[in-house]
Amino acid sequence: MIPELGHYALVLALALALVQSVAPIVGVRTRDDALMRLGSSTALVQFGFVAFAFAALVTSYLTSDFSVANVYENSHSLMPTIYKFTSTWGNHEGSMLLWVLILSLFGALVAAFGINLPATLKANVLAVQAWIASAFYLFILFTSNPFLRLANPPFEGRALNPVLQDPGLAIHPPFLYLGYVGFSIAFSFAAAALIEGRIDAAWARFVRPWILVAWMALTLGIAMGSYWAYYELGWGGWWFWDPVENASLMPWLAGTALLHSAVVMEKRNALKIWTILLAVLTFSLSLIGTFLVRSGVLTSVHAFANDPTRGIFILVILVVFIGGALGLFAWRAPLLKQGGLFAPISREGALVLNNLFLTTACLTVLVGTLYPIALEALTGEKISVGAPFFNLTFGPVFIPLLLAMPFGPLLAWKRGDIYGVAQRLMAAGALAILAVAIVLVAQYGRATLAPFGIGLAVFVMGGAVSDMVERTGVFRLPGATARARARGLPRSVWGTAAAHFGIGLTLLGIVCVTHWSDEKIVELKPGESTIVRHYHLTFEGIVPRQGPNYRDQIAKFTVRSGGAVVGEMMPSKRTFVARDMTTTESALMTRGVSQLYISIGDARSDGSIAVRIYYKPLVLLIWLGAVVMAFGGGLSLSDRRLRVGAPKPAARAAMQPAE
Amino acid sequence: MALWLGFALLTAAAIFAVLWPLSRPGKVRSGSDAEVYRDQLDEIARDSAAGLIGPSEAEAARVEVSRRLIAAKDAEQIAAPVNPAHSLWRRRTLAIVALVFVPLMAGTVYLLHGSPQLPAEPLAARMEQAHKNGSVAAMVARVETHLDRNPNDVRGWEVLAPIYISLGRYDDAVRARRNALRYGGETADRQADLGEAMVAAENGIVTVDAKKAFERALTLDPDDAKSQFYIGLAAKQDGDSAKAAKLWQAMLDKAPAGTAWVPTVQQALAKLKGGSPTAQANPQPGAPPIAGNAAPSEQEMAAASQMAPAQRDEMIRSMVARLADRLKTDGADVDGWVRLVRAYVVLGERDKAAAAIVDARRALGSDPDKVRRIDDLAKGLGLNG
Amino acid sequence: MTRKQRRLTLIGSGLAVLAIAVGLILGALRQSIVFFNSPSDILEQHVSAGSRIRVGGLVQTGSIERSPDLNIRFEVTDGKSSIPVAYHGIVPDLFREGQGVVIEGKMGPGGVFQADTVLAKHDERYMPKEVVEALKKSGRWQEGEAASK
Repeated sequence: MIPELGHYALVLALALALVQSVAPIVGVRTRDDALMRLGSSTALVQFGFVAFAFAALVTSYLTSDFSVANVYENSHSLMPTIYKFTSTWGNHEGSMLLWVLILSLFGALVAAFGINLPATLKANVLAVQAWIASAFYLFILFTSNPFLRLANPPFEGRALNPVLQDPGLAIHPPFLYLGYVGFSIAFSFAAAALIEGRIDAAWARFVRPWILVAWMALTLGIAMGSYWAYYELGWGGWWFWDPVENASLMPWLAGTALLHSAVVMEKRNALKIWTILLAVLTFSLSLIGTFLVRSGVLTSVHAFANDPTRGIFILVILVVFIGGALGLFAWRAPLLKQGGLFAPISREGALVLNNLFLTTACLTVLVGTLYPIALEALTGEKISVGAPFFNLTFGPVFIPLLLAMPFGPLLAWKRGDIYGVAQRLMAAGALAILAVAIVLVAQYGRATLAPFGIGLAVFVMGGAVSDMVERTGVFRLPGATARARARGLPRSVWGTAAAHFGIGLTLLGIVCVTHWSDEKIVELKPGESTIVRHYHLTFEGIVPRQGPNYRDQIAKFTVRSGGAVVGEMMPSKRTFVARDMTTTESALMTRGVSQLYISIGDARSDGSIAVRIYYKPLVLLIWLGAVVMAFGGGLSLSDRRLRVGAPKPAARAAMQPAE
Repeated sequence: MALWLGFALLTAAAIFAVLWPLSRPGKVRSGSDAEVYRDQLDEIARDSAAGLIGPSEAEAARVEVSRRLIAAKDAEQIAAPVNPAHSLWRRRTLAIVALVFVPLMAGTVYLLHGSPQLPAEPLAARMEQAHKNGSVAAMVARVETHLDRNPNDVRGWEVLAPIYISLGRYDDAVRARRNALRYGGETADRQADLGEAMVAAENGIVTVDAKKAFERALTLDPDDAKSQFYIGLAAKQDGDSAKAAKLWQAMLDKAPAGTAWVPTVQQALAKLKGGSPTAQANPQPGAPPIAGNAAPSEQEMAAASQMAPAQRDEMIRSMVARLADRLKTDGADVDGWVRLVRAYVVLGERDKAAAAIVDARRALGSDPDKVRRIDDLAKGLGLNG
Repeated sequence: MTRKQRRLTLIGSGLAVLAIAVGLILGALRQSIVFFNSPSDILEQHVSAGSRIRVGGLVQTGSIERSPDLNIRFEVTDGKSSIPVAYHGIVPDLFREGQGVVIEGKMGPGGVFQADTVLAKHDERYMPKEVVEALKKSGRWQEGEAASK
């Protein structure tokens, strides 16, 4: 009964979405407030239905109901409960259900917390949101239905792919989807503005919290995905320029650009058309990402669906939405009025530069991702575009962006004083040059680019700190005044500085890991030792262990540093009984923000094993930086000014648009 | 019943979502652009008071935002007030849509893929139920569950393997036998059982892997009957009937009276000797060996067409035997092998056809392209060799 | 500056960055893409030693030779022809005889492919697309094989 109710609830969500696609727009056209209000109630109930359907599927997973084909395909009665839960979205059908769950959640949030929105804008936004939802409900119900049943259910399921049985999977896709799908709100706002044919600075403020939420989620989602690949795939790499990773990076780049251009629009009523276009493009890239991952177009370790009908369906969705939105844009954008003036050297100018570089970087990733597919479709020739391509294109575009980044927040609106700003960045610059010099001397003749990478990272972080020092006047003014000023500063200013600082941290991690990682591949017999950097590792032997649905062959290592034991590391080979499949579980030891990393090969008959050991200096900074960025986004989101405009009685509710 | 009640409740909720806003009078609560600009003005005032921006910049910004504020106010004035009475018919249409379209469309789409007749079947409850009914599948599932947790319960694997075979789950049977071997240690019996499961999985063909298992069993216990029998079968399938007969005869000679497997071996031996007389058929002494090409000549074909069926059959058999002989010495002729296999199938001797495929694979092993032709042939003829 | 001039500056700088990006992309594409080949392609086209390529196919049964210092040699076949491969390091979990692999590296002297990356399929349902292509080309692939493991 439960799976059928879930199925029916999903169908009802489709019916409501169809009503919501039309009624509010008719309401706006005819100025009928009841019809406009309709969007809110259907959006809320729609979310209720999808949540019900999702809960039904989760229940089927938790109770191992193998009469649901999807559960049979992807679950196993012996999996730990947590993985029964996460395997709900560890497969194509379930993950699409999660996708629409988040989509309808955002719709419901706009309905519930968008009290400060002008009624017509809100009605149009909800209608556009319903178009997207309808398309994806249809996609799920007709090509990827998770509620299909088996009349004679087997007694055991086929289990989740062991590679995916990992806590990383539990949180990584939901965050990624929160990001992807969150940008649908920006898209809907843009489409709504185009439908109304009117857009101004207030629009940017209304849409900004939604962009921030999506951006934060995507930042965290990408970081978690990267960390998951780092420790689960056993290659010690943290970014592979895999098409699936690119598919999440592109919306992030476009979304970051959108975040910044929306600021210009809000403050100065400028860059309006560009911002609208970016909002459309960002969500389009999210859709392209979904298409690339879900259609099986890609050769990728992540692509678990390979079904042409699905591919064609998503392609149609893609063409209709991107094509439709761009068509609407071409038709309506000329109606939008131009906004404020500014000099090239100004905050606006800096943000334009930011947008220019970010979109160009996004373009290089797009080309690198799509070129092999296009070439194969056109000529049949198969190529792969890997890290070297992206290092040669993405790198050169990103470096000037990072160099210019500290200047941006210090420049004044309208007309900035570049020399003044340069003076204020003196300290950061000097620190950076010092860092370059120190590293150059220490590493003389070994690493040529690394010192400059370090310098750049220091400059970026120093710039963020200088900005705050400047604004609070911490070293110039008496302590009490500085503290008062610090409190008086809008949170979004703190947020900007934190996010920029986070970028510097990530960069520092990347440079260190790229240039100073140690890798050692050796064969060890029990009792033998090897040395990596200043760590002395002894292979103690292999111990078997029985897990809930797997068997482990654990290789025990004792790690010593300077003669003292600092810990044990236990990488293993894990055999999953249900699939008769083996995975490598690498072992990590965190020392500060650096890590030792061991992954093992097959054991030989003489008891020796092949071992791959890495020392990854400052590697955690890569992800820590992303967390700091997301934290910065959170600070901005909590800014009082984003809540503005809400009628007084509802001010409380409007405070938490992120939830 | 409860299910249909659930459907009804959900449908009612959906209809309610549409009707509720239509039925409620009153204005929609609306925010406006003007409020944003008013707040921006406040912010400028705060910033300038705190000394974050200079007085001239503050003034310029104030003018700019005020201009926007006025524009926004104008826009709101233009937006005409709402006239509810005017749109009554539209609301009624929508109400009808909610009442008719939503349930109708939901019902239609649901019934396309839905299975309202199937109840939910949580595993725990099913196990309980199946256990009461004594279903084999449930029992197997329970044992599997137990073994997944305690894979070193050798007896469990050994109980499960024959059940798998009787259920036709041969691959699982092989896995169970392997696990018994892995966790229970190597014995002749376990190796032989593994080999037997492998033979079952390959539709009765003794594969190289299976043969290895039997040979291993025989090194552990030279008297292991099961392995001896299957080694004999392997010889037969390889076309070496003489060896098979010798092996089986030796088994029978040594077998103590009343041994359970004696009839099986006797039967196999009898079939080997009587059932396929051409296996020993020698080429006719007078016929010269056809060099190079084993295909029948024009004359032979013409002659065959005029022969009586019995005679023709005899002639074909002799040709096939010649071909088989030649291929034993010259194994590289893939076309010859293909003809041989086809001929056996036509003559109704599928065992020999399968054996020929095994031989052909062995003889052509160095050339993947040719082996592939043999594989395709085997697949096409339904010979699982 | 007038409004028009400002806009021109903006568009001009945008185009300049775009032009640089296009230049970078074209340059990088020429230098860093890796062509994908099947073993037959390599034998037929005599791929020049030194250029990076990817090869997909099955690990030839019985061809794996491991030597004690983590060097491994095996052959990759597409059913038609096969090439010898040398690799140093740890091969992935699902690297087995008869399984699909994708290797990346350079053709070395003596016709031995020097691989620096070995990718095996990730789970039993998934076969690297490039391997499927190589097998299809040589006629060994049958639809449905992937579905039934």
